[in-house]
Amino acid sequence: MVMGVMEIGLAHYLVLGAVLLVCGLVTILTKRNAIGILIGVELVLNAANINLVAFNRYSHGVSEGGGVALAGQVFAIFVIVLAAAEAAVALSIFLNFYNNFTSVDVEKAKELRG
Amino acid sequence: MPTPALLLLIATLVPLVSFVVLVLLGKRMGNPLAGWVATGAIGTSFALSILAAISWLGGSPEWGCGNMPINVPIPWVPTGWGIGPQTKTGYLDLGLYVDSLTIVMFSMVCLVSLLVHVFSIGYMGEDKGYPRFFTYLSLFCFSMLGLVVGGTLMQLFVFWELVGLCSYLLIGFWHEKKSASNAAIKAFVVNRIGDVGFLIGLGVLFYHLGNVTLPEVWAALDSSKLIGSPEGIRVAGIGMFSVRALTVMGVGLFCGAIGKSAQFPLHVWLPDAMEGPTPVSALIHAATMVAAGVYLVARIFPILTDGAKLVVAIIGVTTLTMAALIALVQSDLKKVLAYSTLSQLGYMILAMGIGSWVGGMFHLITHAFFKALLFLGSGAVIYAAHHEQDMKEYGGLWRKMPITAIAFGIAVLAITGTPYFSGYFSKDLIMAHAGAFGALASEEGRSGWYWLLFVLPVVIAYVTAFYMTRCWMLTFWGKPRNEHVFEHAHERGIMWAPLAVLAVLSVVGGYDGLLNVKGFLNAAVTENTKYVQMVHPEGKFGGYESAWPSDEPGLSRSGEDEDHGATEVLTASQAAHKQGWHVMHQSVRWAPLVGIGMGILMYMRGYAVANVLMKAAPVRWVHTWLYRRMYFDELYMGVFVAITVGLARLGAAFDQYVIDGLVNLAGYAVRQLSSLAGLCDRYVVDGGVNGVGAATQGLGALVRMPQTGRIRLYVTVVLGIVAIGIAAVVVVVVATVM
Repeated sequence: MVMGVMEIGLAHYLVLGAVLLVCGLVTILTKRNAIGILIGVELVLNAANINLVAFNRYSHGVSEGGGVALAGQVFAIFVIVLAAAEAAVALSIFLNFYNNFTSVDVEKAKELRG
Repeated sequence: MPTPALLLLIATLVPLVSFVVLVLLGKRMGNPLAGWVATGAIGTSFALSILAAISWLGGSPEWGCGNMPINVPIPWVPTGWGIGPQTKTGYLDLGLYVDSLTIVMFSMVCLVSLLVHVFSIGYMGEDKGYPRFFTYLSLFCFSMLGLVVGGTLMQLFVFWELVGLCSYLLIGFWHEKKSASNAAIKAFVVNRIGDVGFLIGLGVLFYHLGNVTLPEVWAALDSSKLIGSPEGIRVAGIGMFSVRALTVMGVGLFCGAIGKSAQFPLHVWLPDAMEGPTPVSALIHAATMVAAGVYLVARIFPILTDGAKLVVAIIGVTTLTMAALIALVQSDLKKVLAYSTLSQLGYMILAMGIGSWVGGMFHLITHAFFKALLFLGSGAVIYAAHHEQDMKEYGGLWRKMPITAIAFGIAVLAITGTPYFSGYFSKDLIMAHAGAFGALASEEGRSGWYWLLFVLPVVIAYVTAFYMTRCWMLTFWGKPRNEHVFEHAHERGIMWAPLAVLAVLSVVGGYDGLLNVKGFLNAAVTENTKYVQMVHPEGKFGGYESAWPSDEPGLSRSGEDEDHGATEVLTASQAAHKQGWHVMHQSVRWAPLVGIGMGILMYMRGYAVANVLMKAAPVRWVHTWLYRRMYFDELYMGVFVAITVGLARLGAAFDQYVIDGLVNLAGYAVRQLSSLAGLCDRYVVDGGVNGVGAATQGLGALVRMPQTGRIRLYVTVVLGIVAIGIAAVVVVVVATVM
């Protein structure tokens, strides 16, 4: 392995995941547009996916039966499916919201505040 | 039920039926039908009473005149045993008791009432209360008849009160007149005072004996039983009835008679009762109200002790003297008659007191006739004179009303005791017995004061003749003093017809051969004695032993017996009786002549002689004193009424300041307490409830505060908390590791 060329390891993935997570969180916190927030949520979910896949890759990699362990990947796929479903539900809510308020600004969604 | 009792019962109830009918339909019947209904009812009663008398005279083995009375007890209230000391079962019964006295009284009441009814149809003809008047009259007759047939003192008392009520209603008949309503109230209240005594006597009697049925009472308590045992009478199975209790009982019962018969000191209601319509005065004075008192004394006569009888006699003699003196100077025609009634009632009560049982009742009957005549006559005069009652406005009326004048004159002769008029027989009998009483008293060596019981009635006999003559002279003789009244005067048939009947009765009422009232009364004594001895064979009944015989022993016998008079052995009472006749005859022989003569001389020319006499100051003083009725009204007003009113004021003040104060204080305290409770409720209970609410609300507001609805804020918070949590975990881990 060439010393000058840094081998990509688990840490890099985790850092990437962390960066993505923070990006997502910042997006959620700063955006007033519901779509933007949804995008932030996707980012957070995908940060988790990266972590899941990375941990799977760098764990022992063998299942108890002797085959390749794929639990992380399967989890990631579940998360993607979930995210899709979540996006569908969220977008339909937004559509309704838009119908009522002609806007998707979450600051206006205060009807249920205490 | 034996025939006479049944007839009398029906005769009693007929006026009640008439009363009910008149109450319901009287207004619709109007004038004069209502009057004829009532008159028809009392007429029926009179007819029935005559039938009863005939049947009574016919007699039967069980009852009849001179044989046995009829006693029909009607159970009313069984009171159980153990009241007072007696061990026998007590009971309060009603009932009918018919003896010759009942028959005579009943017929007299019916007859006088009937004539008063007929007279009233004329007299009240123009009054707007005509149906009401006859309604009351019917009730009055029913009450009096119920009283007369009463077989127990309880029944007597019940009807006694009814009579009182009726007199109240009738005296106050013209109640829109203040004086009439006052007079009615006065009569009622004064009678109540007497009735309290009656109730006390009744209570004492019932306490000791357990019943008040007349024959039972006579049998148990007749006064002759005291001769052997001066400390009291032992009643079989019951115990001792002390002579003191007996006297208290007798005087108590007599108090009722004082009230009803208007004796001193309760006489004040009777003159005021003149405010009623004149026929009512006739009824009250002759047949009903005042007769009830004397009748009661006659019924309780057998059980009166010597002490009680002395009280009766003294009250009687006081009344007859006082009333006659007052009657001397009254100028109101009806007032004169009222006081003459008082005086004559005094004679009757005196008669009862000195033991002249027959004399008293005899005088009651004859007096009923001539007093009814006097009042109806005065009613005719007053009606003719436009309701003017003052004799100063009369004079010379005989020219306009000859029948009334003659009838009135007959009554005057009767009341003065002119020989061969009814009053002569009864009054002489009483005074003979009074003389006998005095003679017996001095024989027994008692105080000379007992002679007063004879002297005063004799003197008053002269006075009576004088004032009754004055009354007639001022009304009918002389020159008319008021032309207007004289012009208006006239007579009406319906009004002088009853006068004529009564005039006849006033003449013949005293003869033994015609109505034989005295015979009936003597028979009553025999009947009652026989009856009691039959019902209680073991006990001796001598209830009438202290009564004088009604006939002079020597006079009642035939000439043949007179020759053997020396061999006759007279009892002490018979001897005294004989002596009494002599004394009386010598004293009162000239009474009517002197009295009437004086009256005629003095009032021949109206007030001329009287005015001359009035110039002397002492005469004027006495006149004023008598004219103001000896100031009895003022005395009672100043003492009893003032005390009563004062007490009432005191009571009112006590009520207002003490009772009301206490009540108000209690109210105030409760109010304060409740306002305290209110405060507690408002601040503690409500405070608690509201506090819970407020706390919940505050908590809710607190919890609500973070719920801003701003998603980004939520996320920030979540992130912050997560960050803090992670930081904490890190710190803990680091701390653990190190």
